[in-house]
Amino acid sequence: RALCPLVPSAPAALRALPPPVAVGVLHTTRPLHTTQQSLAPVPPLPEKGGEVRHGLIPEEFFQFLYPKTGVTGPYMLGTGLLLYLLSKEIYVVNHETAAAACILTVIIYGIKKFGADVAAFADKLNEEKVASALAMKNEAIQTLQTAIEEEKKEQWRVEGRSYLFDAKRNNIAMLLETNYRERLLMVYNEVKKRLDYQVAMQNLKRQKEQDHMIQWVEKNVVQSITPQQQKESIAKCILDLKALSKSAHAAV
Amino acid sequence: MAGRKAALKAVDWAAFAERVPPNQRAMFNALKTRNDALTARLAALPEKPPAIDWAFYKANVAKAGMVDEFQKKFSALKVPEPVDTQSAKIDAQEKEAAKSTAEYIQASKARIAQYEQQLQKLKNMIPFEQMTFEDLSEAFPETKLNKEKYPFWPHKPIADL
Repeated sequence: RALCPLVPSAPAALRALPPPVAVGVLHTTRPLHTTQQSLAPVPPLPEKGGEVRHGLIPEEFFQFLYPKTGVTGPYMLGTGLLLYLLSKEIYVVNHETAAAACILTVIIYGIKKFGADVAAFADKLNEEKVASALAMKNEAIQTLQTAIEEEKKEQWRVEGRSYLFDAKRNNIAMLLETNYRERLLMVYNEVKKRLDYQVAMQNLKRQKEQDHMIQWVEKNVVQSITPQQQKESIAKCILDLKALSKSAHAAV
Repeated sequence: MAGRKAALKAVDWAAFAERVPPNQRAMFNALKTRNDALTARLAALPEKPPAIDWAFYKANVAKAGMVDEFQKKFSALKVPEPVDTQSAKIDAQEKEAAKSTAEYIQASKARIAQYEQQLQKLKNMIPFEQMTFEDLSEAFPETKLNKEKYPFWPHKPIADL
């Protein structure tokens, strides 16, 4: 409560009085702009005003009379005063008295019945305004905090740029290495191809020579067989066959 | 000239991927695919080509001196290493990136300082219940009513109510 910060700072004599009186006295003796800190913000007003009895008479009056006259003192004073005014006709009862009585009755009845609701309604209106303002303020605070976090996160992200360049350099190194290896391989392949070609050519030539030689020899041999030789060789063959058949007969 | 066996620096792709902002994901994926393709190609090639069996060829090739000539030329052959034209560009890019990064971080820090300041102002504000209209105008200057321009209540154009 707003009262609390003020009451403890009040002098001891004030605190001895019961709280409603203390607040009431504080209202009158608030130290405003008396010290050197006169530019400091004024402390907030208390939430509730001083206490009153019967809506009119402040509590301090009753407390003031209590030591001398007890609890009933102020009431006796009030009643006596009222009777005096009426009996001495200092206050004259006329038609306006009746009007006042009716009006006051209605007013007091109305306030007692609907006072609290109207107060709550008015408070609610104010509450809504304050709540919306507070919501905006909280939202603003939240936005700022998220913005700060986002910025920090971006800074962290940016620190990772070395990865990018490492990756790029890796790519380049790999490309170069690949290229070099491909070149070596190409050289090897080309040399091998040529040597293999030579060997293959030689083999082929040799093959062809052999074939040609064989063919030529065969051709010459066939040519050189004269008809005379042919007859002789056929006769020889027949003799050999006969001999063979004889030995075959014998074997069987 | 960089040595042939320039060691490949191990790139922590997971950590890298974390730091990529969402709007640059596509570029990151492209880079990664390229890197993977190159790695695969590199792994497929043998480091050295197999050695040529000179003895066999010397025995079989009839032409005198051909194999010897080949052998001589082959051992004398120096395959040139491919020239690295891009590393300088990468280094230049890196320097530029470092510079722009420093600027960005600077700007970012300035923004953070601004935000912090506003945050402090909001946090140290007196609660709305204890404010007067003057206090409100101080805390939020945009709510201040311009009494010179609009001398009559409500001190702002009716449309703004």
